[in-house]
Amino acid sequence: MPILETKNLSYVYSDGTPFRVTAIDNVNISIEKGEFVGIIGHTGSGKSTLVQHLNGLLTPTSGEVLLDGKNINESKVTRRQARFKVGLCFQYPEYQLFESTVYKDISFGPKNMGLSEEDVDSHVKKAAEFVGLKPDMLSKSPFDLSGGEKRRVAIAGVMAMEPEILILDEPSAGLDPRGRDMIADMISSYRKTTGSTVIIVSHSMEDVAKSADKVLVMNKAKVEMFGTVNEVFSKVERLAEIGLNVPQLTQIFLNLKHSGIDVRTDIYTIESAEAELLRLLREEGVLS
Amino acid sequence: MIKDITIGQFFPGNSVIHKLDPRIKFVLTFVYIIIVFLCKNFVSLASIVVALIAVILLSKISPKLIWKSVKPIFIIIAITSLLQIFYNKDGTVLFTIGKFSLYTGGLYMALFTTVRIICLVIASSMLTYTTSPTMLTDAMERLFSPLKVIKINVHSIAMMMTIALRFIPTLIDEVDKIMSAQKARGADIESGGIIKRGKALVPVFIPLFINSFRRAYELAFAMECRCYRGGEGRTRLKVMRLAGRDYVAIAVIVLLTAGIIVSNKLLPAVI
Repeated sequence: MPILETKNLSYVYSDGTPFRVTAIDNVNISIEKGEFVGIIGHTGSGKSTLVQHLNGLLTPTSGEVLLDGKNINESKVTRRQARFKVGLCFQYPEYQLFESTVYKDISFGPKNMGLSEEDVDSHVKKAAEFVGLKPDMLSKSPFDLSGGEKRRVAIAGVMAMEPEILILDEPSAGLDPRGRDMIADMISSYRKTTGSTVIIVSHSMEDVAKSADKVLVMNKAKVEMFGTVNEVFSKVERLAEIGLNVPQLTQIFLNLKHSGIDVRTDIYTIESAEAELLRLLREEGVLS
Repeated sequence: MIKDITIGQFFPGNSVIHKLDPRIKFVLTFVYIIIVFLCKNFVSLASIVVALIAVILLSKISPKLIWKSVKPIFIIIAITSLLQIFYNKDGTVLFTIGKFSLYTGGLYMALFTTVRIICLVIASSMLTYTTSPTMLTDAMERLFSPLKVIKINVHSIAMMMTIALRFIPTLIDEVDKIMSAQKARGADIESGGIIKRGKALVPVFIPLFINSFRRAYELAFAMECRCYRGGEGRTRLKVMRLAGRDYVAIAVIVLLTAGIIVSNKLLPAVI
C-alpha cells in the first residue's frame, strides 16, 4: 500500500471572487514508502499548493489525501496527526525562526508533539547533527547566524519531528553552489539513516535528477508526468513544450546523440557522465 | 481565511466609475456621506439610495462583494435600530403590546439610521473598490497640498500611506505563510482560550516583525538607489486631469445636494 496517495485532489483559491484560481486540478498520485520524489514545474503550476495538502495545511476543495490509506481530513485530530507524520519545510524557512536560541527553535516541533523532555532533547540533537550544526551553535540566537546556517536550523526544526515523510519546498533556493550541495547531502544522509520518504519541490532539474527516484511534473495545475527519472527526462520534447528543461548534463549527451555520436542519453549525474565519456573515448581509441 | 477580507480592497475594472478622477471620487464620496445625513424625508432618502444603486450598477462591481462589505456591520445596525424602536417616543403610537408601544418616530428613525449606515458603508467601500490605493493616496496628496502652508509635509505622509497600503497584501500573505509554517511544526493556533491563543501567536508575530524591519531597510535602500529624496521638485508619471465624465459626476452630486436641501424645505420632515 502506498504511504501517501491523493485521489481527484482539486483546490480553488478565492472561490466566488474575480480572483478565482484553480491551483490544482484533479491530481492523482501515489507515493511508496521510502521513495524520493522530486516535484518540478513552473512558478504557479501548483507545486506548493499540492504539498500543502499532503500534511493537511490546506483542505481540498474536492478529493482526498490518504496517509497510510486513511483520509487525513477526516477531523481536526487526524489533520494534526498528519502534520507530525508529514513534515513540511516551506520555501525560505529561515524567515520563520522566532526563538531566542537555536536549540529552542528546533525544539518547537517536538515540543508541540508532546514529547517528554529527554525525547525532545535527543530529537533536537539528532536533527542538529543531520544538518551539521555544531553543538556550540545551539545556544546562539538564530538571528546571529548566516543565511545558510539559518536555513539549516529551519530544516532541522522540521527534521526534529522525525516525520515519516519529509517534504521540502525549494530547500536550496537562493543558496550558493556549496550551500546547495550541503543541503542535498544533508537530505540524502537523513533519508539513508531514517529510511523515510522524501519529497522535494525544486526548480533545479540537476538537483532532482541527481537525487530523486521519481519525478512529478506539474503544469498549469495538472499532473503532466509522474514516473522515474528516466521516464520523465526522456520526454525532452514535451518538457520543452511546457517550458522545462532536462538537466544540462543530459542536454549535452542529447546533443552528442543528435550530431551522430552513439551515446547513452540517460545521463543525470557527473559520475555516469564521466563513465560514459570514458567508454566513448576508449571505443574511439583515444584512450586505451 | 485572512485573504478573504474585502474592506479597503481594490477590484480593478474598466467602468466609468473606475475611470473617474480619484480626487473627484474622494470629494464626492465625502459630500455624499454628508448629504446622507441631511435627508429628512422619504423623497430624499429614496434619491440617495437610487444614486448609490446607479453608481454600483455603473461600476459593474458584483453584488456579492457589496454584500460582503455590509455584512460585518449588521450587528451595529440591529442594535441601533432596536434602541430607536424601544426608546424613541416621538410621534403617534402605532400599536401597544403589554408595556411596550411602538411609536412612528421610533420606526422612522430606525429605518433612516439603517439606510444611512448601509449607504455610508457601501459608498466608502465603492471608493476603495474602484480606486487603486496608489491613486487614492495620490488624490489625497493633491487635495491636502494646501496644508504645506502650515509646514505639514503632505508628500511624506502620502508616501508613507502609499507604502503602508502597498504592504498590506504582502504582510497578509506573509502572516499566512508564517502561520502555515508554524502549523506545519505542530503549532496549534486555532484552539484554546484567549491566553493560549495569544501565546500561540508569538511564533507568528516575531518573525513577522523581524521581516518587516528587514523589508523596511531594503525598501529605503532601494528608494535611495533610485534617487528618492522627498517630494521637492518631483513630477508625476500620470498627471491627473479632469475629463468630461468628472464634470458630469460633479453636476450629479450638486443637483442631488440641491434637491435634498429643497425637498427638506418643501416637504415635512419625517424625523
